[in-house]
Amino acid sequence: MSRRDLPSRVSGLALITVVLLAPAFMNVPQTAIVTSASCVALVALGLDVLVGSTGQLSLAHAALFGVGCFSALGLGTHGAPWLLAFAGAAAMTSLTAVVVGLPALRIRGLQVAIASLAFQQFAQQIPNKWDQVKFVGKTFDPPSYLAGVTSQYYLGVALVVGVLLVLAGLRRTRGGRSLLAVRDVEQRAVAFGVATGRTKLFAYAVSGAITGLGGALFALQQTSVSDTQPFILRESLLLVAIVVVGGARSPIGILIAAFATKAVPGLLAPQFGSGIQLLIPVILAGVLVLSVVLQPEGIGGVLRGLRDELGAVTERPVPRPLATDPVLAAARARSLREVPRPLTQRLPVPALLVASQVSVRYGGVVALADVDLEVRRNEIVGLIGANGAGKSTLFNAVSGLAPTTGSITYRGRELLTAPAAGRSARGVARTFQDMGLVRAETVRENVLLAQGWMAQYPAVTGMLALGAAVSTERELRHRADQALELFGLEHLADERLGDLPYGTMRIVEIAAAVASGPDLLMLDEASAGLTPEEAHALGDRFRALRDELGLTLVVIEHHVPLIADTCDYCYCLESGALIAEGTPAQVTAQPRVVESFLGRGTLEPVG
Amino acid sequence: MLSALVLGLAYASAYSMLALAVVLIYSGTRVLSLAVGEIGAFGLYAGLWSHDNGLLGVRPPVFAAALVAMLIGGVLGLVVERLVMRPLLGRPALDSLVATLAVALFLALLELKLYGLDPFPAPSPVGDGSVEIGGATLTVTEMTLLGLAAVVALGLWLFLTRTSFGLATRATTSDPTVARLLGVPVNRVYVFSWGVAGLLSGAAAALLANLTGSLTPFSLTSALLSALAGAVIGGLDSLGGAVVGSLAVGLVNGIVGSRVDPTTSAGVIFVAVLVVLVVRPRGLLGSARVAA
Amino acid sequence: MTLLEVRDLCSGYGSLQVLFGVSLEVGEGEVVALMGSNGAGKTTTLRTVTGLLRAMSGTVHLDGRPVTGTTPERLVSAGVVMVPEGRGMLRDLTVAENLAVGAYSVTDKLQVGASLDRVYATFPILHERREQKAGTLSGGQQQMLALGRALMASPRLMLVDEASLGLSPVMTERAFSLIAEVNRTLGVAVLIVEQNVLALDLADRAYVLEKGQVVASAEGDAVRTMQGRLRTAYLGTAV
Repeated sequence: MSRRDLPSRVSGLALITVVLLAPAFMNVPQTAIVTSASCVALVALGLDVLVGSTGQLSLAHAALFGVGCFSALGLGTHGAPWLLAFAGAAAMTSLTAVVVGLPALRIRGLQVAIASLAFQQFAQQIPNKWDQVKFVGKTFDPPSYLAGVTSQYYLGVALVVGVLLVLAGLRRTRGGRSLLAVRDVEQRAVAFGVATGRTKLFAYAVSGAITGLGGALFALQQTSVSDTQPFILRESLLLVAIVVVGGARSPIGILIAAFATKAVPGLLAPQFGSGIQLLIPVILAGVLVLSVVLQPEGIGGVLRGLRDELGAVTERPVPRPLATDPVLAAARARSLREVPRPLTQRLPVPALLVASQVSVRYGGVVALADVDLEVRRNEIVGLIGANGAGKSTLFNAVSGLAPTTGSITYRGRELLTAPAAGRSARGVARTFQDMGLVRAETVRENVLLAQGWMAQYPAVTGMLALGAAVSTERELRHRADQALELFGLEHLADERLGDLPYGTMRIVEIAAAVASGPDLLMLDEASAGLTPEEAHALGDRFRALRDELGLTLVVIEHHVPLIADTCDYCYCLESGALIAEGTPAQVTAQPRVVESFLGRGTLEPVG
Repeated sequence: MLSALVLGLAYASAYSMLALAVVLIYSGTRVLSLAVGEIGAFGLYAGLWSHDNGLLGVRPPVFAAALVAMLIGGVLGLVVERLVMRPLLGRPALDSLVATLAVALFLALLELKLYGLDPFPAPSPVGDGSVEIGGATLTVTEMTLLGLAAVVALGLWLFLTRTSFGLATRATTSDPTVARLLGVPVNRVYVFSWGVAGLLSGAAAALLANLTGSLTPFSLTSALLSALAGAVIGGLDSLGGAVVGSLAVGLVNGIVGSRVDPTTSAGVIFVAVLVVLVVRPRGLLGSARVAA
Repeated sequence: MTLLEVRDLCSGYGSLQVLFGVSLEVGEGEVVALMGSNGAGKTTTLRTVTGLLRAMSGTVHLDGRPVTGTTPERLVSAGVVMVPEGRGMLRDLTVAENLAVGAYSVTDKLQVGASLDRVYATFPILHERREQKAGTLSGGQQQMLALGRALMASPRLMLVDEASLGLSPVMTERAFSLIAEVNRTLGVAVLIVEQNVLALDLADRAYVLEKGQVVASAEGDAVRTMQGRLRTAYLGTAV
């Protein structure tokens, strides 16, 4: 642990020293160049909140930079104190970014970028109309303590550090996790209680605010703006280049890329002539092309690789769950049942989930046709059927991911008319057949993501580490670790999920679902990717979850022995219709079931 | 008024050619290419440079410069497809978009480095002649643009609906894996889309640069983005939608831009994009899959 | 004579190995069934044979010539067509256009016309719906289109991936009997990949895949025995 930390501590200390002492070794123009580069660095960090963390491409950040700059100038030249000008710039830019991001509520991916482009095209024209009228002859006079280049330099450093801290706070708390969920598992994020649209607009708002600060610093530094070059389309594209070359979600990489692009050419110009100012961006763009193709994780990825190389002294933990006694482990984890849910939603009811006449249609294909079923409390219910029979579709109907008709009540209340994102709070949790977690994050963060609905603090307070957010996060982390222990995964808490074997990822997903404090747990092919022994052990876990934690389970399974010895009741689907129900023995004895569904038996080699 | 309308239509035609280039690549590969503007511009820079400075002792005429622009545009399209886009197959759409953006940025900055910031004068490849109709002067360039855009749109439509390779292109759009399994050479579809898009881009660049009077780095990318706004309004995967949308945007740019001011026209376009994307995400004529 | 021969095929996705030395053969005009449950590696086998996935090791021969690492396009020209899992509809294209894409590799116009007549004769409903978008067909109609589309290339070998997927038993039976008929009347060899035991009814030879390995194989009458065993194995563990 400490050996791994040492190099990063030393280099961190060296970096701080260099940053703090730098002005002493630079002349006035050089210091100014570095300060304007930090403005761009701030904008790039703001852009990364969208590109890196949320997977939304904005091609309007140069224009937003301009919005920040002109807002600050507008306020500053009309006598507002600089702090107010900065705050106003952040607010104004934030608001503008939200408007630009509005289409993201309706569409995903590429077209949102086009809307931002249209904004960029529009906004970059505005100063041409204004220039003479509003800003000529007026200046943004900073107070004397901010008038010098050195003090502006330190203000820039302070802003960058402040933003880095806020971003780190965002990453560690509810807001940041929702962003990642939207980025990586967008459509399934609702299963974690993440309201996709609101989360996206939140990302635009945060991104805009940070960008606005960059603009305000630029306004302070320039005092009056005569040149609109920093706000044009080209710069928007360059900003994307900086973020991608720097590496998504890698602030250090982005800072390096920003300074390499914006400060280095200016600093080198006296020695190498001004040609270099045109050459470096070309090189950056070339690197960008290569980087997208060859090194999608950018400088940040390279840095991570180096750190792993240097820190390789520590051994990787066993990537499989540790063997634990399921009953004991579950008994120890009983406090997972303590969730902040109103009493009315906890009262025992005989039938937890009742589906009646449930149908799902995609185009001309009927995926589910008039299915009626009932899940009684504290039972393990099996759902079997051949591939494509509609089992996962039924789960999707319950968790609000499929266009469903009919009625599904949970604890006597209709689910279909309520928003999908509210279901995890009501106590419905599920796993996906092909994994619905964020592979780029650690195991613990994924569990925290699943517990999202319990983090009932505003995302902003989490970001700023204020109020109840800190204590709530601490409790949730504790809870997450308990859930991991329950499945023998505690030694993997800090591993990147994507680095684990597939079977282990699936167990993590179950742990995350259990951590979200459900009453109803729906598991889609939990045994896929497990060895036969592990699959067998899964049955004991199911029973422990039912008996010790009082959960109700619905399991989709292909592994027939598992169904036979764990399920209390069983339904069989075929071509979207229910063809049999009863105890596992009754169901598997029916010829129709045998015809339609051939599970993996214990085959003996023939001939 | 008539001449403003014709000017607007000429702009609109150039935009529609760029939009068609985008739609062609999008229907072949599901990649939204931001590079097809600068690809043609890069070719045109080379063509105009050789027109000004001579190439191997010969000064090619402006018309040849336009042909050079198309040729280089086409070749660049092929190179970009093979070296940049092909390795990205199967990666998220955002990666491909960023890659095309990177190509546009690289080409534009290279133009800046090679030819400087000063606008390149762009004489018309089809001469400066004009005719007078009903009191309005129509230049040969404008008329060529109108005619060419119509021919290109019609040709592309015929290609996609009437030829077997066009069918292969649409099959690839629908599901590249299934298309491959049925024997469609999807790589050839990709190559073809990018190559033809490059040619179109070169032609659009040569005519549009003359219309605006000069060529600067990013000017074609900027035009492309307006065209894209049009394509989004019309529907990205619909040929008709892209043409109608980009024509509308071009008209707004040409007429409002010259009669009122560029800010207002850009504002109108931004609001239109915002409203269409929020109210009808697939675009006016696009299919439901665009929004998915 | 052996048409398709797969030897010790290993394959997978990235670092995840799914196939561990699969070997199987399909003779000229034969129907061969590759049975196995979900995740056994059936689809991975097909994807590797057709060249959608790169083999880690092992070989694939067609007519005794190596075709390991070929492309799907080339395999189609060589007479091997796959009917993808989930029927692989080109949803935005009409029924007629789907069929035309199926004939893309065939240059002889007369042959295409003849194939089209034959497909429409076999599946009249496709003729009736020829202008309809494939995405709007019902599951059973899509299965017919998938089979008809594969026939348009006049293949010698059809690889059918889970024809029963999402179909009712009646429709599954229909699909299987269509496959049997195609085999009988046109002499097209078929490799059916299935989890449904009914597929064994039409098989001349069968393999059972489990965890990426062939754990059982049978030929001729032994296939019936295997079918019986698969059923008992299923019932035996389930009850």
